[in-house]
This record gives sequence, C-alpha cells and structure tokens, in this order.
Amino acid sequence: MHRLTNTILALRALSSGVWVIACLLILSTLLILVRKPSDQGDLQFWVYSPEHAKMYVPMIERYEQSNDVKLDITIMSNAAIQSRMMSGFFGGLPTADLIEVEKAVAPQAFMGPIEAIGFTDLTDMLVQEGLLEQFNQPSLNPWSVDGRVFGLPHDVHPVMLAYRADITEAAGIDLTQAETWDEYFAMLRPLMADTDDDGKPDHTPLSFWYTNQDLIETLMLQGDGQLFTSSGQPTIHTERNAHLLATLVSWCLGPQPVAVDINEWSAAGHKAKVDAVAIGYIAPDWMCSIWKMHVPGLTGKLKLMPLPAFEPGGRRTSVRGGTMLSIPKTTEHFDRAWEYAKLLYTSPQVARELYREVDIISPVKSLWNDPVYDEPDPFFMNQRKGRMYIELAPNIPLRPSSPYNKQAAIDVRDAMGRLAKYAKEQELYEPEQLMPKARELLETMQRQTERRMERNAFAQEDLAPISEDSQ
Amino acid sequence: MSAKVIDRNRVLFSWAMLTPFLLLFAIFVVYPLIQSAFLAANQTFGPGTRTFVGTKNFQLLLADPVFWKSIGNTFIYALGSLFIQLPLAFALALALNSSKLRGKGIYRLIFFSPQLMGLVFVSILGALAFEKRAGLVNQAIAFITRNEKFLEIDWLQQHVMATLILISLWLYVGFNMIYFLAALQSVDKSLMEAAEIDGAGPLGKLRHVIYPSVKPVATFVILLSMIGSLQLFELPYILLESSGGPDNRGLTIVMYLYQNGFDLGDLGYASAIGWVLALILIALALVQIKMTRAQEVNA
Repeated sequence: MHRLTNTILALRALSSGVWVIACLLILSTLLILVRKPSDQGDLQFWVYSPEHAKMYVPMIERYEQSNDVKLDITIMSNAAIQSRMMSGFFGGLPTADLIEVEKAVAPQAFMGPIEAIGFTDLTDMLVQEGLLEQFNQPSLNPWSVDGRVFGLPHDVHPVMLAYRADITEAAGIDLTQAETWDEYFAMLRPLMADTDDDGKPDHTPLSFWYTNQDLIETLMLQGDGQLFTSSGQPTIHTERNAHLLATLVSWCLGPQPVAVDINEWSAAGHKAKVDAVAIGYIAPDWMCSIWKMHVPGLTGKLKLMPLPAFEPGGRRTSVRGGTMLSIPKTTEHFDRAWEYAKLLYTSPQVARELYREVDIISPVKSLWNDPVYDEPDPFFMNQRKGRMYIELAPNIPLRPSSPYNKQAAIDVRDAMGRLAKYAKEQELYEPEQLMPKARELLETMQRQTERRMERNAFAQEDLAPISEDSQ
Repeated sequence: MSAKVIDRNRVLFSWAMLTPFLLLFAIFVVYPLIQSAFLAANQTFGPGTRTFVGTKNFQLLLADPVFWKSIGNTFIYALGSLFIQLPLAFALALALNSSKLRGKGIYRLIFFSPQLMGLVFVSILGALAFEKRAGLVNQAIAFITRNEKFLEIDWLQQHVMATLILISLWLYVGFNMIYFLAALQSVDKSLMEAAEIDGAGPLGKLRHVIYPSVKPVATFVILLSMIGSLQLFELPYILLESSGGPDNRGLTIVMYLYQNGFDLGDLGYASAIGWVLALILIALALVQIKMTRAQEVNA
C-alpha cells in the first residue's frame, strides 16, 4: 500500500510534458495496431516521374482487367530511387520488380563485374522476341555494358536548336540555311548590335556557358568528343576534345561573345528567354514540354532546326538525358515484370501519350509512323516537330555507361572553367590560340581519371595504355 | 524482502530498462562502426565486389589532392562559423537581452525562423538569392553601388565557400543566438549591479561579468558548431548539385565520402574517409573536454 502511494505521488510529480509524450506514445501505438495493412500489389514498380506514372495507369488498369495480376506504382524522387536501389543491390535485398532509372543514376548500378550488376540481363529476351532490332540502336547504348542490355530505353532525346523565329524572320534572316555553327553565328551578327545603348548586344546568338555541365556534354557529344571508349578506357586527352573545349570557350569570351549565360530552370532565366536575350537554345525533345509549361510567353515565337554542325557535313544533333526500365535480379516475378515492361515501353498508346503530354518521342522505330508525330505544334509556329526529332533520332551520338563518366564530365567542365580563366587573363579568344592550354588541361584531367581508376583493383583492365590513334 | 533481493531486483530492472536502448545502439551504432572499420581495409566497386587492401585506402587518401582540398574547404567553413557566425550570434543575443529593446519575441522569431523552414528550403532560397544577374544579393549590391558590373558576380561558381558561409549565417546565427541568449539570461543580476556600482562600463561588464558567466555555454556552442561544420554536407550538396562545385571549390569531407561511396561505388575508400573524419572529431572533443576541465579547475 505504501509502495503504491509512493508510485502515485511520483507520477503526480511528473510534468505535463511527460504526460503529453506518454499519451502520444499510447495513441500512436494504438493507431499502428489498428491500422489495416494497405492492399499490396503482386508487383512493385518504382517511377521517378509523375507524368510517366499518369500515362501508365490507364494502360495497366486495362491490362489487369483481363489478367489476374496487380502492379503497384510508387512515385519517388530520383535520389530516393538511387539510394533505395543501390542499398538493395549492395545488401542483396529485394527492391522493386520494375524500376525506371534515370541516365545519371544508371552508371552507378553498372559498376563492377558484369555478373554482379543488380539488373537482369535482357539481351537474350530482346533477341528471342525480336525486340532488339525494334529499338533505335543508339538509344540502347547507355543501358548496355559490354554489349549486354540491362534496360529498355524509354526515349531517344535527340537535340535540336530552338530559335526565336519571330525575331530572325522579322530581320529577314533564314537560319535554316546555316549548316555550321560558324555560319549560324555569322548570320546573326546583325542582331548583336547595341541599338538601345545599354552596353550590351540586343541579342546574343546562343544560350550556352562554359560552366553548364549538361550543355557542355551535349555539345561535346555532338562534336564527337569522347570521354571513354566503348570498353571503358578513358580518352579525355584527345585532339578532338581539345578542339571542342577551345571552340566552346571561345564562344563565351572575347570582345563580342556569341554565347550568353541564361539559367535554364529559374524564373529569371525564363524571363531572359521571353526577352530574347539569346536567339538560340539547345532543345532536347523533353525541353519542349518544359517551356510550354513554364514559359508560355514563348508560344508562337520559336522554331526548331537541326543543330548547326561543328564542321560542314558534321553531326546535326546530339542527345541529352534519358531513362530506362529495368528488372532487378531479385524479382520473384520476372515473367510478369517482363510482360509489363513490354506493355509499357512498346505500346503505341503509351508512345502517343508520351509525345502528346511531354513531347518525348518513342525509341521504338515501328511506332514512328504514328500520325501523332506529324501533328503541327502551335508553340513552334505549327512545325511538325515530332517528325523533325524522329528524323534525327538514328544519328544521336553514342554515350558510354562508364561509372566514371559523371566525374570525368565534371572534370571537363572544370577544365573549361580553367581555360576560360586563362583566356581572360591572356586575352586570347581564338580556338587555335587556346589549343595548347586546352591540351594541357585535358592531359591533367585524363591523369586524374586514370588515378581514380588505378585506385580500383576491379577496373585495372580498363586502363591499358591509350594508343596514338585515339589521341 | 532481504536487501540482497531488492538490490538484485533493482539491477534486473535497470537492465530491463536499458536493454531496448542497448539493442538499438548495438544494431545501429556498434555494428556499423565495426563494419565500417572492416570496410576501410577493403575495396569495393559496386555490389558483389570486395577485396582486402589492408591500409592501402589510408595511404592513397594521404596522397590524394582532392581529399586535402576537401579538408581545406571544410576547415575554411568551420573557421567561418567560428569567427563570423558565433560572434554574430553572441552580438544578436546581447542585443536581444537588452532591457531597452521592444518586441524581443518578434526579433527572436525572425532570427530563429530559418531553422523552422529547414535546411533544404533555406538552401534553395539561398541559391536563388545568390543567382547571377537576377539574384537578390547581386541586385542589392548593384543598387547600392550604382554599378551594374556587380550583377555579374557568379557566387556559386567563383566564390563558393564565401556563399556557403553566408547562407549558413542565415541558417545558424539565430539557432546559436538562442543558446547565448539562454546563457545571458542566467547571468546573476546582483553581479551586474555590483559591477555597475563599482563603475564598470558596458565593456567592463562584458569582460568581467558576462563573459565568465557564458563561457561554459560558449565552449559548448563552439564545439557543437565545429562538429556541425566538419560534417557539412546537405548545404553544398543542394547548392552544387552533388558535384563539389567548379574545381571542387565547395567539396567538403563528407561530400567527398559520398562521391566515393555512392558515385564511384568504393565503400572502402569512403569508410577510410569516414574514419579520418571521426579521428578529427574525436581530437576536437578531447580538446573540449580538456578546456572544460581547465575551466572547472580555474573556477
């Protein structure tokens, strides 16, 4: 009795905060206990894009009406997919049955020996079912390791140049006649005058800057610049890369630079686009829907054309971004997952939706005949832009899936920054003048990447000496 | 009931109370610690690969210029916190502790509010404020100096560490201010009155009364701030999009750890970086313990 009294007295002495915490503890425990477990599907599908999920849902619902199976779609950020997927692969734990993986994330899953990759090798299935040939071949490249395909491509993402046709046409300039970048810049010289005396040109030909890593990579790919061979050997220090580096830096500097720094994503950047600070913008297919959504003021002012080439006869497109659909090895429902993968990634209906909703063209060549790609687009002055992107799709450059690519691309951006600093200090603005320094910087970056790879006992075979031909 | 039985019951009860914590501690702290020590002596390259390399990771680390760069950047940030952030927090606390100031509650809320918004939100706002040309900071400088040249300052390219320090000022000054304010409010009023009677001016009171009273809290805040600074990750990760910035100007130790572990798949090298960081933090904690003991002895 005495003990009980003491306990009651001790409890009474507790502060109200302790009681609140205790009540919350009891309440939350009860809630967890009485909560009904959510109705889990047979298969799990991780998607990073809500737009993609929205397109898949009707197709999946229709499929599930005639098949006794249920697929749960979970939308999560790219970073969440990356960490959950990689944690699963490292720990040998189940992830999802299907995962949509973005280009920047995939190389991390391709590290190590081919047999240790966490995704199912789909090559044999693709060959057996005659699907391999159906896909645009360069679009399979980022999802392949040593010729084995680990994911179905979601897209092609060819790149064109979007330009302010309202201004160029008013000035009587026909940019479609520009075959090379030099011709393009020369044709736009008249628009670079400073008629309002604000100390800046009225318009600058191109939105590009030597600090924008994505745009650097896109243009280097267009110019056949390579950071790795198909077997994963670093080829950063090459004459071609040095030339591209020097050329791109020369665009941004000098008494009359032809490129201007416009933020691709911010409101200020969008306003600059509406104000036509730059005439031309690098435009992968997916960028079209971004502009439609965020910069409606550009409606009816832009036109698309193939990228001008670095040299006559050179490549007129590039590639930027990408997504694949993969099936982790840990899935217990491979056959069902494979059926879903084919349904979603080869379906004409999804392809049509993909183009209508987000302007992305399908990588499945047999679907390119769909009339949706010939529909005029009022945002781009009624151009049939789908068809224009499709015509460029087979020519997109190949991209390596090396896990070292991300760091190497960062190194190249840094080299470009250092080259720009050197150019400003020395007042050298011609590509030829910048070539010796560009070579020197790329050599440093090549050594840096090699050091990174040398550290790796598993990647030693990728470090055979670089032949003279590749330099 | 004998005393022996009561003692045994007490011991059993204590262990019963401790067991949930000890279990969680063993699973989530002790086991990962042992595992990371083991990993530091191995090399990995993605899932399913591991090879024993002994002390090679630590040898490579000592010869790795990027690692030293990340150490340098982290210490620059830590010093920025120590010599700019904390004095500013103390000055704000002094101002808010003044009996003459009205609306203290509002000011406290204003200075503390970045903490309520959270680091990610503040980082994104910071990135917008320091944007080239249209950013609030450049616009303000250009407006004050009447010179449009300042619109072109590319903070996140050219002055990365300065930008990180400035944004963290916004984020943490109010937070540290609360500690100092609490310490200031516990300063013995009779001592202040005695100092006034003895003719001490504001500086004299600060030096001989306030400073000795807040010293233990200041030591704690300094240590907390140093540890937080050395573990800096989220702010540069968000601002620099996980790259470390141009020429690794914003690369911190933890970011380099993350790059190696998750971008390059070498958990061994990342663990070695983690252990070096742990050693630095342990050294700092030992210094703090020594300083606290010295203060206690002097008191």
